[in-house]
Amino acid sequence: MPATAVPHSKTLAADRFRSFAPVLVLVALVVLVGVLRPSFFNPESLLVTVADTATLFILAAGTTFVVILGSIDLSIQAICSLASVVVALLLPRYGYFGCLAALAAGLLAGITSGILHVWLRIPSFIVTLATSGLVVAAALLLSQERSIVIDEHGRLLLSCITDRSLGVPNVIWIAAAVAVVGAWTQRYTPFGRYSIAIGAGEAATWASGVRVNRHKVIAFACSGVLAALAGVLLAARQSSGSPTLANELLLPAIAAVIVGGTAITGGAGGIGRTVVGALIITIVRVGMTFIGINIFAQQIVFGLVLIAAVALTIDRTKIVIVK
Amino acid sequence: MAEPLLQVQNVSKAFAGVQALDDVSIEVQPGEVVGLVGENGAGKSTLMRILAGVYRPDRGILLLSGTRIVLNSPREANLHGIGIVFQEQSLLPNLSVAENIYLGQEAAFTRSGIIRWPALHAAARRQLEKVRVNLDPRTRTVRLSFAERQMVELAKALALEERTDRPLVILLDEPTSVLEQREIDILFDRVRGLRNRASFVFVSHRLDEVLSVSDRVYVMKDGRVVAGMPAAQTSVPELHQLMVGRELHAQYYRESRQQPPGEPIVLATEGLSAGRAYRNVTLQVREGEVLGIAGVVGSGREELTRTLFGFLPHTAGTLTVRGKRVRLTSPDQAAALGIGYLPRERRLEGLVMPLPIVPNMTLASLQSVLRAGAIQIRKERTLAEEWVRRLRVRTPGVDVLCMNLSGGNQQKVVLAKWMNARSKLLILDHPTRGLDVGAKEEVYDLVRTLSEQGLAIVLTADTLEETIGLSHSVLVMRDGEITARFDAPRGAKPAQVDLIRHMV
Repeated sequence: MPATAVPHSKTLAADRFRSFAPVLVLVALVVLVGVLRPSFFNPESLLVTVADTATLFILAAGTTFVVILGSIDLSIQAICSLASVVVALLLPRYGYFGCLAALAAGLLAGITSGILHVWLRIPSFIVTLATSGLVVAAALLLSQERSIVIDEHGRLLLSCITDRSLGVPNVIWIAAAVAVVGAWTQRYTPFGRYSIAIGAGEAATWASGVRVNRHKVIAFACSGVLAALAGVLLAARQSSGSPTLANELLLPAIAAVIVGGTAITGGAGGIGRTVVGALIITIVRVGMTFIGINIFAQQIVFGLVLIAAVALTIDRTKIVIVK
Repeated sequence: MAEPLLQVQNVSKAFAGVQALDDVSIEVQPGEVVGLVGENGAGKSTLMRILAGVYRPDRGILLLSGTRIVLNSPREANLHGIGIVFQEQSLLPNLSVAENIYLGQEAAFTRSGIIRWPALHAAARRQLEKVRVNLDPRTRTVRLSFAERQMVELAKALALEERTDRPLVILLDEPTSVLEQREIDILFDRVRGLRNRASFVFVSHRLDEVLSVSDRVYVMKDGRVVAGMPAAQTSVPELHQLMVGRELHAQYYRESRQQPPGEPIVLATEGLSAGRAYRNVTLQVREGEVLGIAGVVGSGREELTRTLFGFLPHTAGTLTVRGKRVRLTSPDQAAALGIGYLPRERRLEGLVMPLPIVPNMTLASLQSVLRAGAIQIRKERTLAEEWVRRLRVRTPGVDVLCMNLSGGNQQKVVLAKWMNARSKLLILDHPTRGLDVGAKEEVYDLVRTLSEQGLAIVLTADTLEETIGLSHSVLVMRDGEITARFDAPRGAKPAQVDLIRHMV
């Protein structure tokens, strides 16, 4: 009997490799870029690289909550842009309340997606695509289709984001806080535990008396809030808000989640992995810029990276039908 | 006798250590209707799937007209003239009748890549005529009644005639379980009328049906063929005796450990009904009592157990759990009331298979390891190790994924989950399905332990023997209503035949 209970050592080794592979890839990429461009290794350059990762990471961290369920949130890019518009509009008159309003907008969008998803039983893919349309329209309306520059006063308020503490850019501190709180949530709270369980076996989780729908809505809410937070940071760094500010971020964000090793089918992974994934994506971006690849052409690479990562991380022998 | 059309010789098949078929041999003569009977888990469906090319036998061979054949896929079985009508119908509801009959065979009606619909429809009409069904082949399948779909399935199987010059063998896997009597009569009439075109292997657990339509009957039990005889020379009671056969030795079900139930009533229903599934069910379960519910497919007992765990809310009557009148609309409400559920679909609803033992054991009671809202990882682990020891789960450790445990050990993890949640009422929905004998006995032991601890248990078992052996009292259901109640105290268990009378 115990013989049947021991997992096949080969698959165990494969699983181990899968979980360490992203870190190895990250190290290899850092070395590669460093060799091509030794200046990459000077501390200031590294700090800037990590700071550039912060927004992408926070965006991806939110999606991680949803991807772990086996769902997807395609509205993060739109929410991120909307949040930047809200901040830019409200900051001059209402100060930090503008930041809160931006986060609230993200929360609202996330909860809306979540409720529609569980209540009408519509695939998250479609629901968040639709929510994305609504959010983009709201951003366009509010901004009257142009980018809104944040004035001197606003920039002063946002300096808490753009400044440095202990020599490290504050965006990095914020991203680190998101990483720690997010990883803690996933490991130590019932919500985190149930999310993994839902992704790995929703029927059994439901039949164990877990309120599956409630936890799904919470996951979408997290995704919305963190997307909005990313939007606030982006607005602060760019000193402007725009309905297209976060365009071209959806693909890298989802790629960061998957490259980090969170399964697109759900049930495995976490925000710690997304940290690694986001760093990989940033370094790929930096590397490509060094080589001189056009920023739009870089999307091709992110698309390929995403496909490759999904192909490598999913054990497709366990999946019969792929839709 | 002439040379048999189809022979199964010494076929064995095991799944994950459970011997589903053990040295099985049967044969089918040309134009013969062969009945295959046995309890759930006896191996009927496995044998059918081997004949249909879905599974490959571990040992043993298949002969068709004396020639050995190897079936690697349902398609190869088809090309040898073997077709199957599945228990769960396999027609695609969004396609027309004709499209369903010739699904995958459209090439025969295609010219330069375009389907010639008139030819396809004419051919489909020919098949429908064989089963004497007057249907327009262009009808969407979704609009057909269940009985009509069954006929279309049969017509689809008969369409194999055009793809092979071999005589046909058509496998009917429980085709009557959802049909009305009149529809069954029509189906049987057609089957008899088609004997000049095909041989049939007919699986059912309604013994009277099998006798009325078959020429010969095989009885299966625990993966073996225990008897085979002409239908005219046997009877329903004899078949039943052969099917359940094992002398009932009381210790198998740990009868000596059966204690009288306690006083307090844990579960009570009065006039409980759910749509057309079941009606007017009144029952009581006390602390430490095992209530068995017996009934065939369609008796409503499955739906009744689903109601008790919130999957299928009742529509009339009252449901009282531990003194509280409730209507359960989702499993979380049931779990909050102290109800636990051990599902028949263990792999789907019982455990989160890709996760380790630890999170599965605490899934229904995370609050037991929370402090200030945070999971105490070490405490949780210790708790899981404790359960592994107490229930003797055979595993190298608590980090082993549940998918790598054997069926019996998986079942123990499910039980541990509900014991950890301090459930007061357990719904055991076919708790020993797919387990080997040793694992079954361990489950029986656990059931006794649970009732000694005062848990109330509602049991729907795979076999009558198990129902009677484990229960303090037994309800018999038929067509959605309770038809009889039996006390089953230690040493004075009712006889199976008495129950069967009220089941069919």
